[in-house]
Amino acid sequence: MVYGNFRFHQYHVVGRHLPTEKDANPTLYRMKLWATDPVRAKSKFWYFLRKLRKIKRANGQIISINEIFDRSPTRVKNFGLWIRYQSRTGYHNMYKEYRDLTMNGAVEQMYSEMAGRHRVRQPCISIIKAQVVPAALTKRANIKQFHDSKIKFPLTRKVVRPAEPRYRSIFKGKRPNTAIFTS
Amino acid sequence: MVKEVVRGISKQGRSKTYHRRGLWAIKKKNGGKFPQHEKKAKNEPAVQKPPKFYPADDTPHPKTRRKVVAAAKLRASITPGTILIILAGRFKGKRVVFLRQLPSGLLLVTGPFAVNGVPLRRVNQAYVIATSTKTDISKVDASKFDDAYFVPAEKKRQKKKGEEEFFEGDKEKKSLPSEYIENQKTVDSALTAGLSEDLKGYLSTRFSLKSNDRPHLLKF
Amino acid sequence: MPFTRFVEIGRVAMVNYGPEHGKLVVISDVVDQNRAVIDRPDEIRRVVPFKRLILTDFKCELTRLAKKKELSAALEESGAFEKFAKSAWGQKIAKRKAKANLSDFERYQAMKKKQARSKEISKAVESMS
Repeated sequence: MVYGNFRFHQYHVVGRHLPTEKDANPTLYRMKLWATDPVRAKSKFWYFLRKLRKIKRANGQIISINEIFDRSPTRVKNFGLWIRYQSRTGYHNMYKEYRDLTMNGAVEQMYSEMAGRHRVRQPCISIIKAQVVPAALTKRANIKQFHDSKIKFPLTRKVVRPAEPRYRSIFKGKRPNTAIFTS
Repeated sequence: MVKEVVRGISKQGRSKTYHRRGLWAIKKKNGGKFPQHEKKAKNEPAVQKPPKFYPADDTPHPKTRRKVVAAAKLRASITPGTILIILAGRFKGKRVVFLRQLPSGLLLVTGPFAVNGVPLRRVNQAYVIATSTKTDISKVDASKFDDAYFVPAEKKRQKKKGEEEFFEGDKEKKSLPSEYIENQKTVDSALTAGLSEDLKGYLSTRFSLKSNDRPHLLKF
Repeated sequence: MPFTRFVEIGRVAMVNYGPEHGKLVVISDVVDQNRAVIDRPDEIRRVVPFKRLILTDFKCELTRLAKKKELSAALEESGAFEKFAKSAWGQKIAKRKAKANLSDFERYQAMKKKQARSKEISKAVESMS
């Protein structure tokens, strides 16, 4: 995976109510959120803000929007994601853990997992909180099993793949042998 | 404007500038005035009425061509002595030695004739693969073969044969002028002297693609 | 029979997909059951899925997410890349590469050599029967 080639990017959006006679210096609100581009990020910002405060896009303004990049994109970290999503029956809260190099990667993993396991698409999911979790505080067994500096496991299936997609073939003369032979 | 050498330093010195500006002409002894030509009265262009109608018939106009036919640039991989593979014509697949490029842009090559039967010949470089193998052609004098050398003496098209004449066959067998044969022999002897047995064998075999060859991945 | 090649920190693997096909890399950390962080002395650390890796017999002593300096030192000490080149697998790859790089003339020479060889062989076989 190339760094920076993510579906969702993390943006830092700052906005406020428009200055009025009563309040010349309205409170600033800032938010970190994920979106595919800055335009959608601003839209998402107003979506969340009008739920939390009595401000909407018509009477508000965006002060700044910046993309946030990971500080160590070559180190594996555990990410905890607190999410809330709307299913066909109601709203659910969830806590999920992922291992990845970047938070954007973890968010992408979460979206595809939610789509796969619960059939929830991206617009129905809101990320409440996302942060790096120290190894000792992780909860999920699937994450914990990789917290081993002397990790060692075999790959049990060998699938010979063509070197490039253009060498793929639909039909093969032989069934592939996926066993890994050792001597 | 006169060019500046560096910023502030003119390319022309004081004396040249003096002459260029024509200051000498203003001097009293030269009349004290700039010499001037009287302006020629311009001929007023005759007023031509535009034709009332567009022409009814289309008249073909020759296309103006600004293209100059220049000799093709020689590919960098082809140098005198390079072994080429001919791709088209009756000698396709033959490996030949490149001698030089002719003014027309065509490549002068030879088999040599004694090795693989390809005579002195002109080929377009588009129909040729250049290999990385080179031979020594320092002893070969190819300077006397120009484009005219390859134009047959009697180029005139003969009348089409009638039925009778066709079955009669050619009255006399055309033969190559002995001069051409001699030239080929001298070139061949100069060229083959420098060829190893391996190279001779290589030149005498034809190039062809085998079942698992991928021409775009082959190195030549 | 037990497995002999394991996913572990310091294991030398080969990329078997895409433009980097045939490149040797070292496993620097394991992300999850599908992906590993791989490293090379001349490249930035990155993630590659196990589907695009083949494990080799060789490894070097490394700690998790080791620095470039430690990595090149460990590779030097273990000689893993050189060992791979000397192994049957590495030699096969080198031979294939050499064959692909033959010029037209060298291909002709190889063909002649092969012809002479099979001639000798058929002669020997004939004399035996």
